[in-house]
Amino acid sequence: MMRMLGFAALGLALIFLLGPFLIIAGAGFSSGDLLVFPPQGFSLRWYGAVFEIERFRESFVLSMQLAVGSTVLALLLGVPAAYAMARYQVPGGEWIRTIVTAPVIVPAIIAGLALLRYTVIPLGLPVMAALVLGHTALVAPYAVRVVTVSLTHLRPDVEEAAVLLGATRTGAFFKVVLPNIRNGMMAAFILGFITSFNQVPVSLFLTGPGVTTLPIDMLAAMEFVYDPSIAALSTLLALMSVSIVLIAERVLGLSRYV
Amino acid sequence: MFADRRIGLALAAPALLFVGLAFLLPVGILLTEGLRTPAGWTLSRFTTFFTDPLALEVTFRTLRLGFGVTIMSAIIGYAVALAVIETGPGNRARMTALFILPLMISPVARTYAWIVLLGRTGLINKAVVGLGLSDEPLRLLFTETAVFIGLLQLFLPLMVLSLTSALENMPADVLPAARVLGAGWLTIFFRVILPLTREGLIVGGTLVFTGAVTAYITPAVLGGAKVLMLETLLYQRVSVANDIATASVIAAILIAMSIATHSLIRRITTRRRA
Amino acid sequence: MTKQQAVWLAASMTIFLGAGQAGAQQRSLVVSNFAVAQDQLRKDLYAPFEAKCNCKVVLDLGNAADRLAKLEARKANPEADLAVLADFTALEAARKDLIEPIDVSKLTNFNKLYDLAKDPIGKNYGVGYTFYATSIVYRKDKIDVTSWTDLWSPKLKNRVALPNITTTQGPLLLFMMNRALNGQTPDYATAINKLAEMKGDVVTFYERGAQLTQLFQQEEIYATVTGRFNWPLVAKLNMPIAWAQPKEGLTGGLNVLTIVKNAKNKDLAYALIDEWLSTEAQTRIANSLVDSPANREVKLEPAIADVLTYGEETAKSLNVIPPDVMLANRDAWLAGWNAKVAR
Repeated sequence: MMRMLGFAALGLALIFLLGPFLIIAGAGFSSGDLLVFPPQGFSLRWYGAVFEIERFRESFVLSMQLAVGSTVLALLLGVPAAYAMARYQVPGGEWIRTIVTAPVIVPAIIAGLALLRYTVIPLGLPVMAALVLGHTALVAPYAVRVVTVSLTHLRPDVEEAAVLLGATRTGAFFKVVLPNIRNGMMAAFILGFITSFNQVPVSLFLTGPGVTTLPIDMLAAMEFVYDPSIAALSTLLALMSVSIVLIAERVLGLSRYV
Repeated sequence: MFADRRIGLALAAPALLFVGLAFLLPVGILLTEGLRTPAGWTLSRFTTFFTDPLALEVTFRTLRLGFGVTIMSAIIGYAVALAVIETGPGNRARMTALFILPLMISPVARTYAWIVLLGRTGLINKAVVGLGLSDEPLRLLFTETAVFIGLLQLFLPLMVLSLTSALENMPADVLPAARVLGAGWLTIFFRVILPLTREGLIVGGTLVFTGAVTAYITPAVLGGAKVLMLETLLYQRVSVANDIATASVIAAILIAMSIATHSLIRRITTRRRA
Repeated sequence: MTKQQAVWLAASMTIFLGAGQAGAQQRSLVVSNFAVAQDQLRKDLYAPFEAKCNCKVVLDLGNAADRLAKLEARKANPEADLAVLADFTALEAARKDLIEPIDVSKLTNFNKLYDLAKDPIGKNYGVGYTFYATSIVYRKDKIDVTSWTDLWSPKLKNRVALPNITTTQGPLLLFMMNRALNGQTPDYATAINKLAEMKGDVVTFYERGAQLTQLFQQEEIYATVTGRFNWPLVAKLNMPIAWAQPKEGLTGGLNVLTIVKNAKNKDLAYALIDEWLSTEAQTRIANSLVDSPANREVKLEPAIADVLTYGEETAKSLNVIPPDVMLANRDAWLAGWNAKVAR
């Protein structure tokens, strides 16, 4: 009896979490002009239309560049930091960890506002640079955390052995450590990419004239576009995220790092 | 080999400097804006904020929604996590993946779905009228209920995942043993399951709570100007009135909430390690 | 690092760095404007202008308050060159030293404007380019609107959206409600009290007019208060929607073009303003039902004129709040609204 109730709860929860999404996907297949479910007729018209809208194309490209750029930057900063904390008894190590992972604690909208007021405006930074700064800070904690997990699985004596066998320490890092934490870095990249790509609050204050990220653009368009194109776009983006995650799970075992 | 602390420090320095200069410094300056007036340092902005009826109402609404969503997700989360555990180890991984999926989908898209569903011509209202529960479609959009539903959908997976992993770590024979001893379900839950999964509950709860009180998209889209939460109030104050002082006060409140809940998690996880 | 990884890293950095360089050749004129009918405006105004000036018109969209706050935040180093504002927002911007007087002798089309539009806020801080009426837009199959008091008719209970005080239309709503209720005080207390009483029946206090399409479409609302500039959006919905002629009259406003202080592309801003005021552009924009003209030479077909706020006489007949009165009282309205309506 309780078991039945439990499975009912599981089913309902999955419907609650994924159902709305299926409805949006379905509404996108409408052949009519209205966003309704069930859809009026069936066509791929709106899924095609998404690609014709220039502003979405532009903001999609920008979001991609932003997500890739800031995640790469976050990894370049985060990997050495994670390595230092995993291997060296750095003075004030706990403090360093707290500082580097602090962006997780500060609500993103506040970070965006603070960056705009006290960094971007005083320094006269262009919009893209502002976005990269904000997103890199936001993604850096994930990079540190995920790479740290990878490093704890790799025993330090492997490196020591390499050095004993004549490798330089830098050589040992690139030949021994990096290949071993490659999966962790890929996992961090994917998590960072998705975090940045879907980010709204930090970008809210940082986007500027002619430079908008896709989620911000969608948020604006949601209000006045009432045809199924946004539904189609939402579905395509979700499919993109989901397939990245599924492939990553298959190849890397992503869920170990989440 | 790893004895030289200076190398360690040098490796950590870029990240440290970046986060410190590009992130913590500006956020720190923002926080001081609420304490600074031309006349000197003061707490008066905080007292003004907490005596403004609108600000108080928004603060209470934010807390109410935060706790409400947390409690509801705990109730649903336990039912779901127990069922996930029952499906056995093989299916468990697949089930877990199903709960990770929604976390990867853009919150904008997830919130958009509710506009379609909760509108007066939406599926939910069609069902309500069709089943004869109401003669008229209900007004659901731009209400606290809509924001509650949106937030619950956004953050429930975090609770489920955290409770599932807590239940997995529970010794396998505890539940059958309790059942053999003839304990009722309520007794088993409160005497056995709850104490053994307390940490998972707290971790999940803090994640859901901080997520809910600092959400922007959901209250902005499903709540609007009538159902302001602290984040939407902050955005409104800044974007409409360029009112940085109030924004700074709200920022301080939100960061305080966030630090409090995160240090709770940290205390618990470090105790577990010890 | 393996070779693949290095290549991959290099590739992604190239994509990323490439972002900053694209389109650096052409000059960009940044126009801060309302997020209304911009696609049409691109066809009727920006695109023809771009062809002439060999520049790119980049838009920064938002409601007036949003964009004013942005101008203020970026005062020392503004992004926008030309700001399109409501007359009272422009006056506020002028008082905050965010915009600069326009040298109207540089505008070849200036003398074609209605007198009302030439210098609406004084010292040539802005030139008017369009008048609009504001009224109640409603579903005529659900209710018949003949007065501003119909906003609280039982038929509109839970079916009406009203502009928030933070929008340009918000004060206009208070103004007309106060007049309909015979309110005597300039703080519009009568109107604010009425709103406080009925706020439970209001679906939402909207902050962006664009949202109204969705609200009508989903039958969330049967009526709202908005400017004529939103009419084409709503009229496109294929629903029985009408524009009310309430017995207390219509309200409305004047939008102006202003030049941002310290703007980087003032020459282009002047050129676009002149283009904007030209008989050709004003006629195209009017025929697309985007904005009513402020240029005397624009002649419209009756069918088009009926839909717009056309002609100097019509513009004069609107009940408007003078910009300085608006600014003098707005804090009181905001305080009243926050204390009674927003809660």
